[in-house]
Order: sequence, then structure tokens, then C-alpha cells
Amino acid sequence: MDIDKISEEDQKNIISKVFEVLKTMASKPSGFIGLCILVFHILLASLSPYLAPYDYKAIDPSLMLQAPSSEYWFGTDSLGRDVFTRTIMGGRTALTITFFGSLIALLWGGLLGIFCGLVGGKIDDVVMRVVDAFLSIPWILAMLLIVSLLGTSTEVLIPALGFFYGKGIVRVARAATHDVIAKDFIVSARARGHSNMSIIWNEIIPNVRDAILVEGAMRWSWMLLGFSSLSFLGFGVSPPTPDWGLMISNARGLMSFAYWAVIAPVVGLSSLIIGINLTADAFAKALGIDRSTKAPV
Amino acid sequence: MKNIFKLISFSLISLFLSFSLANASSGVFKLSHDLGFGKDTNLDAITKGRLFQVVIMTQNRLVRKNLDGVTSPELATDWSGNADATEWTFNLRKGIKFHDGSDFDAEDVKYSLMRVKDPDIGSPAKKSMSSVTDIEIVDSHTVKMKLNTSFADFPLLLTDYRLRMIPSGSGDTIGKTGIGTGPFIVDKFDAEGTTILKANPNYWEGAPKVAEVHVIAIPDGEARVQALLTGQIDMNRYVPFTQKKIFDGNSKFNVSVIPTGNWRGMVMRTDTAPFDNPKVRKAVRLAVDRQELVDLVMGGAATVSCDTPVAPSDQYRLDMDCPQNISKAKNLLREAGYPNGIEMVIHVSTKEPTWPTIGEVLQQQLAKAGIKAEVKMTPSKSYWKETWMKKAVSMTRWNERPADSILHEAYHSGAKWNESFYKSSSFDKNLADARGELDFNKRKAAYQNAQKTLWEEAGTMIPYHVSKLVVTSSRVKNLDEIEFFSIRWHTLSVD
Repeated sequence: MDIDKISEEDQKNIISKVFEVLKTMASKPSGFIGLCILVFHILLASLSPYLAPYDYKAIDPSLMLQAPSSEYWFGTDSLGRDVFTRTIMGGRTALTITFFGSLIALLWGGLLGIFCGLVGGKIDDVVMRVVDAFLSIPWILAMLLIVSLLGTSTEVLIPALGFFYGKGIVRVARAATHDVIAKDFIVSARARGHSNMSIIWNEIIPNVRDAILVEGAMRWSWMLLGFSSLSFLGFGVSPPTPDWGLMISNARGLMSFAYWAVIAPVVGLSSLIIGINLTADAFAKALGIDRSTKAPV
Repeated sequence: MKNIFKLISFSLISLFLSFSLANASSGVFKLSHDLGFGKDTNLDAITKGRLFQVVIMTQNRLVRKNLDGVTSPELATDWSGNADATEWTFNLRKGIKFHDGSDFDAEDVKYSLMRVKDPDIGSPAKKSMSSVTDIEIVDSHTVKMKLNTSFADFPLLLTDYRLRMIPSGSGDTIGKTGIGTGPFIVDKFDAEGTTILKANPNYWEGAPKVAEVHVIAIPDGEARVQALLTGQIDMNRYVPFTQKKIFDGNSKFNVSVIPTGNWRGMVMRTDTAPFDNPKVRKAVRLAVDRQELVDLVMGGAATVSCDTPVAPSDQYRLDMDCPQNISKAKNLLREAGYPNGIEMVIHVSTKEPTWPTIGEVLQQQLAKAGIKAEVKMTPSKSYWKETWMKKAVSMTRWNERPADSILHEAYHSGAKWNESFYKSSSFDKNLADARGELDFNKRKAAYQNAQKTLWEEAGTMIPYHVSKLVVTSSRVKNLDEIEFFSIRWHTLSVD
């Protein structure tokens, strides 16, 4: 990659590039399926309040644990609530929180990784050792500590998840930066007297952006699983908000005789994670990134 | 002739061996506990961290309830009171030995009961013994208990599950040794792992049928159900009724439903705004649909309670109706200065599997009266230490106690476990009057007045007394179908 090529890329219309990438992604069956699942879930999360046939929080002792029927497609849970309603609404909070959490993770993880990769030396050593130290702490314990102290509000969960899932991105961004800083155009920029910020913004980010975005997409699916784990343990979404993790937790003890209360949220959660994973993989391939060699460093 | 002699000898030896084997203890009975007090868990029955699943098997009381729920002799053979019921004489069982080989006598009774009053120990059971001023040793197997007031039901107080007999002077070590006169002996105490008990071959009611009991720490309620399903434990007395279908019709398990005086509730701290206003507390109680809670959480297997902790079968229980009354609840909130309702955070944990569900149902019911409740999960392992009696609103659960005990212990102004920090001189006076009243009807009226006061202004909302769903492995035989503390453990056997 050289300076001319970057200039050429910069001039391209962003929208047409997005379409080009999407087209490439959809050309492979796995990418097409992944994209379809992801779009379906995003549409469902957006429209579910208008599609839901029942009130998601209405409890009724006379409807406890009803099997699936024409009236209640996915049956009812132990409090007599409609499982279909709660399932189609169950991904809203998780998708929203983890989407913004992923953006925060990308932002701080990516910028810090690029900065460390560029400046190197003692700053790089110190920052990376701190990142290593954080990586050694089990995220679930740290998250439980945070939500125990600060609560489970969105204002707490988004930055906390963003912080814990950004640690890995620091390493990826730093490694990707190391790949480009020895290139001629960086040396030229330094020779022209450009500041570090200018080099990061104009030279490095356009070259490492794709690798970081792909990593961010993968982290999104992991964060989704992590958030659902927190809800499963009771430390994510607060009742009565429908959430797949919480629904699975509430119904797991009833699995042997009221399987419907568990299966629906499990399918919802796992299909979304599979969809994001397939999309991220197709995204990487469309951008020409080999994730087997660019995997977390 | 020689052969006949051999044959007779062989037959006699075989007969002897078969008798010995038939009477020998065999098999392992496994149960769980929730590690409710973490590292403070111990085997001293009168302390807060008592591991009652163990002490009820290793130590005896003077008086217990029989299978019909009536007071009956345990280590005391009989008792009598003086004319005004201020002095009670107990004759003790003779020939009983502690697990360490020492004899059980009057000295041990005096020591065991008087240490409950020791302020340094700070026993939650102190209130049960508050009326005892002295225990006089009449002879080696007779004690006379002197009370500061007339107390016609005093022997009933001694059925408290914590008032266990331990060797005189063993207070410093009892927390680890658990020595008593019970059917099982502590072999290894591991609060956070598996505590192992061995059969006491010299138990005064007969050697236990089971050779060992393993008491395993499993903090999570759901995990305890799974442990039962997978055979890791043999009994679970806390299976939620919503899970009854798992065990119904399964030949590997026996299911029984036992009405109890155990209750679940929601505590509002009366020293914390807005719950320092009795009208707010009453409004919350009126907004609750108790029957709906019974149906949704317990599958109908519970007895509705109007905030009285007294067991449904107790002679002093006040039965009353307390239907949900949303308009009255709203009026009370308005009168209390909250015309737009209040907000509250209900702290729950999986320490008790039904708490999160109760919280979720309450959330919907209270919303109708303008009370916006958030249900907040807290770590189960530290619930009793960090949440209960700390947060403004938290969930609670209590085991059955006699009316006088539970009313004193959970509500008396000076009680250590007064979880709602409730203080009422009229309530305290009713309890004092009841204790001193020799006439049964008047005594009953005083206890019931105390319960009426609770309905008007208490800080604890008690929606129901649970019927216990007890599930045991089908290998367990001869388990008494009664509340936990009255079970005759020595009769239990396993295949």
C-alpha cells in the first residue's frame, strides 16, 4: 500500500464502498446467511413493540406454563406471560447495550493500540503490561464487582462492557500498527515533520481501520454473549424487561417439562450470535483480511 | 457328632452376624445447606452462623415437638411449674452421654441455657431466654428455672431449634466440634465443602440406621435442585413448587407437601424514608395480592398470611382477611405525602429460589398503586451479611418458631434480628402481657393484639406461610413427614 493508493481510496465515495463490501459479503452463502440473520434481528428489535401480541409484563396465574398453542405461539412462562412476546422483545436491550459497548471498545481500544504501536518504547511497555494485567482478570468477576457497586443501569453497563471488551482490541490495533509503521509512507510523513496525531489520523487509521473493524464486529458477538451471561446470573437487565439471558435463567429449572420457555430465548440468542459471527467473517474476507493470521495477538 | 456341633456353631455364628448386620448403621445420607453465613458458619447452635442442618442431628433439646406438633420430652423426661408459673422444674434423662464420653447432667443444662443470655455471644436466641433469671441445680438430674414473670407456655419456648444441650464449659470449642448427645457425631467439619457426620452407636433412642450423613455446601438454590436430580444429594426441602412437575411421577424420587410455619417476606426498614412512615408501609401491604403470589410463586401450596409471622397451625395465630385494596393504598400514600407514589428497590438473591419471582410479581402488583419497584439481584453468598438488614428493602425468610419466639425475635424493640428495625411500645407491652397471663384466653388475646398491631404498622410484609415441597431420593426411607426440626433422624435409613 502506498501514498497514491491511499489518496485514491480517500476520494472514493464512502457509500459506494459500503455497497461494494456488502455485495462481496453477500456473494458467499455464509456471508449472505449471516447478513440476513443480523438484519432480521435488527428489524425485529426495532419493530417488536409494534408486533408483540401481548403485554410483555402482564402476569396471570391462570395462564402459568401453557404449552405452545394457536393463542400463545411459544407458550407461556411460570408467571403466565407470553413467551413469544418476550422472545421477540428479548434482544432489544442486549443489542442496544452491546452495540454501543462495542463502539466504545473500538474507540478506546483501537486508538490506544495505534498510539502504543506508533510511539513504542517505555510508554508502549507500560501500557501493554497494564493491558496484560487487566486481561488476566476474569471479565465476569470484574463485571460482577462493577454492577454490584454501581448497579445495572445502561449508563453503567455500556462503558463497563466497552472497557472490558476493548482490552483485546488494544493488542490487535497495536499489532496492525506495527505492520504499517515500517512502510515508506510513514517514514516519509515523519521526514515531512508530521506530528504523531497527524500520522495516526492520516496515515495509520486508513490502513488499520479494516482490521480493527473486523475485530470489533467479533467482539460484538462476544459482548452479546457476555451481557446475556450477566443477565442469566441476574446482574444484567432488571425484571420485568424481557431479555434472553434472564428468560433462560428463569426457565432453566423448568426445562424438563416446560421446554418452550427455554428454547425460544436460546434460539434467539444463539441465532443472533451466529449471525454476527458469520457477518464478521464475511466482512473480513470482503476486506481481504485473513483472520487466521490476524487473530488477537 | 463333631459335624453336628460344627453345624450348630456355624448356624449360631451366622445368626449372630445377621442380627448384628441388621442392627448396624449403613449407607450415606446426603443433604445440602446454603452456606448462608459464609466463613462465619459454625456448629454453635445459639450463634448467628449456626449450621442448623448439622446441629439438629448432633445435639438434643430438653423439650421437642412430637409428630403431632405437641411439646414432648427429649432430654427432659417431665416438667412442672409452680402455681404462678414463675418457676419450672425439669427432670432430666439419666444415663445419657455426650459424644466426648462425658455424662449429661444438670450442670450442662444450666451452662447451655445460661450462655444464650451472654451478651458477649450476642445470640439471636437471647430473646427466647430473656425471661429466665436463673437456673438452679436441684440435684444432678433436676433443674429449676426461675423466671422474672409468669410464663404459662415456658416449655414451648424450649422447643426452639437452637436451645441445644452441650457439655458444660465447651463454649469456646463447640463451634468446631458440634459435640452433643444427638444421633450423629461430627467426624469432619468443613463449612464450605462437605461436613461428615458418623452414626452415634450409643444414641439414647437407639443407634441410627444410617452410618454417615454428608452435609454439602451448595449456595445456589437452582444448583441444589440440580444436585438432587443428579443424585449428589438425597433430600431437598427447598424445591420451588414451580419445579414440582420435574419430580412428580418419577420413581427415583419421593415428593411430599408439608404445611409449615416457615414464611417468606419483604422487609421495609422502618428507620429509613419513606418507610419510616407507617402509612407508606401499610400502603405497600395493601397493594399486595397475596393469593396471586401464592398461586404464581407457590403453585397454590401456601397459606395466605396477613403479615403475621405466627404459623397457621399455632394456637395463637390471628386469622384475618387482607385482600388487595389499591384505592386505599393510594389514599394512604397521598396522606403520607406521596400523591405521585414512591420508588423503591427490592433487593433479592437466589439464596432463596423464590425471592426473584416474588420480587417480579410484587413489582407488577405495586405498580397498580403507583409504587415503582425495581428488582435488584445481589450476590447470594453474602446476602445475609451485606443485604439483609442493610438495604432499605430486602427479602427475608424465617423458619417456624412458636408464636412467642417469632414475635419477640423478629419484632421486639430489643431483638437482635428485628430486621425492619420496628419499635412499638404497645406491641412490646402486648408480648409482655401475654407472657405473664395465666388465663389462656387472655393470653391468646394479647398475642393476637400484637399481631393486629403488626398488620397496622409493621415493616415486614408476609404474604404467606409456605407448604414445604420436600423431595427425597427414593433410596431414603422412614423420613418423618414433619417440619425439619422435629424429624427423628435416627429412624431414617437409606437403601
